Amino acid sequence: MSPLAERLVADLRARPRHFAELVEAHTGVAWRDFLRAWGEVRGLEALGRDEQGRYVIAAPAG
Amino acid sequence: MKQGFRDALRVLEDAGELRRIKKAVDPRHFSALAAQAKEATFFEAIEGYPSWRAAGALVSTRKRLALAMGCSEADIARRFEDGIRRPVDARLVSDGPCQEVVWQGDAVDLTAIPLPLMHVKDGGPYISATMVVSKDPEYGRNVGSYRLMYRTPRETGIDLVSSSDMRRYYQRALDAGRPLEIAVAVGVHPYEMLAASYKAPIDVDEYAIAGGLHGAPVDLVRCRTVDLEVPADAELVLEGELLPIGWTADEGPFGEFSHITGDVKWNPIFRVKCITHRRDPIFYMLQMPWENDWLAAPVIEAAGLQALRIASVEPVAIRAPVGGCCYWTLIASIRKRPGEGKNALLALLSVAEVKLAIVTDDDINIYDPDELDWAMTFRIQADHDVLIIPGARGKHIDPSVRAWSLGKGGLPTTAKLGIDATIPEGVPREQYERLRYFAKDAVRLEDYL
Ligand SMILES: Cc1cc2nc3c(=O)[nH]c(=O)nc-3n(C[C@H](O)[C@H](O)[C@H](O)COP(=O)(O)O)c2cc1C
Repeated sequence: MSPLAERLVADLRARPRHFAELVEAHTGVAWRDFLRAWGEVRGLEALGRDEQGRYVIAAPAG
Repeated sequence: MKQGFRDALRVLEDAGELRRIKKAVDPRHFSALAAQAKEATFFEAIEGYPSWRAAGALVSTRKRLALAMGCSEADIARRFEDGIRRPVDARLVSDGPCQEVVWQGDAVDLTAIPLPLMHVKDGGPYISATMVVSKDPEYGRNVGSYRLMYRTPRETGIDLVSSSDMRRYYQRALDAGRPLEIAVAVGVHPYEMLAASYKAPIDVDEYAIAGGLHGAPVDLVRCRTVDLEVPADAELVLEGELLPIGWTADEGPFGEFSHITGDVKWNPIFRVKCITHRRDPIFYMLQMPWENDWLAAPVIEAAGLQALRIASVEPVAIRAPVGGCCYWTLIASIRKRPGEGKNALLALLSVAEVKLAIVTDDDINIYDPDELDWAMTFRIQADHDVLIIPGARGKHIDPSVRAWSLGKGGLPTTAKLGIDATIPEGVPREQYERLRYFAKDAVRLEDYL
């Protein structure tokens, strides 16, 4: 996983976020790089959604 | 000859309705900038995408839709009716600009396209200006418009929740355990978008409807990797298949045509196998909600005209106002005989999900809100002229139908409201004689300035 994708995963482990909130947290990143990293995150089984449509990743057990 | 996307841009520019933006723009800012411009926007340079340009908000107003349709603002419904009455079959050609560049295999990468991020709560960047074609062994070819949400460099979500012909095609493929091949054309003339959004009977080819609107056949090319055909002059084409996974993948939220943020939906996934585009492609960002609304207007207004005629009421003008998202409200003026104000209301309220209908006489200019208010003030007695029809079919995305309380699969109902703002039976027309200025035609203000 790329360092940017890892940072996105860490963001989502910290708290649920809308996609745009993730984008705002990494505005310095070229859009194409962001989309590639997001593609990696989307591949994770653990990625889910909450009732407000935010993305969530549950913290690892234990 | 049939017009293309670039012709539509030229028509808008000639009319002073296209704003060129020369400074490079990040695709994350397309929508916010288009929302601030009074005109359609053309992004001449895009940060990180040197070979692309982009355009948006082409038909965000009635005026621009009328320009693209080559008619007056009052005539969009009649112009649309003319087109659907005279379909022109599409024509297969051997090649077209939409396949000047082909990305296949490992080269397929959606991140190489300047995908816009539109709204603060969207589930991702969206491709909103799609013409999606699919085939069914029994029903043949179908074309509709369906939004696509970026997921990965080779996958998008698609919203197939509502009932539609393509949903039916997908369900049939799913039942047979196979994927449904689709091809998505982006950057086509507004006539193609109108044809795609029109709910044509399942056995009618929407490409022929687009041909009817153009008055010339739509040239199609065969796709490279799927057994489908797309408009040869499109800017961009995505080829691939809807995976046979049913309604299992999260999609949305998205800023809907109701001007409201929708919910997360559960939908299939589109896997992209091939991307083709012009050598100098222009990405079309359809600006929500306005362009989606205005593309609905001619369709719903034409349905309203037809419903009035079936009810033997003579329509004079019809309007689906953007406040009702060009979908939930119809206002019509009619040449009325006794009782026909009510007949007209019943006819208009039978159209799709229309939940508010207002009918006036033919002396009222329904495009002038002040005239309409005047008619609603002086031609209505609420105990006689207001119809309420409870329990009719509603639409989920209208919050007032409380769809969330219905449980999964529950279908909402809605009350419909009709307002008969025609001169009441028994009130002489002379009672409404408007004041006129003495000597209005005898003097001219310029002569005194
Ligand atoms: C810009 C635009 C986007 C649309 N997006 C969707 C969508 O994502 N899902 C959907 O079910 N209908 C959508 N619609 C409405 C359908 O395109 C429309 O109902 C059409 O008639 C469906 O075609 P079909 O029944 O022939 O498949 C959209 C319409 C427009 C104009």
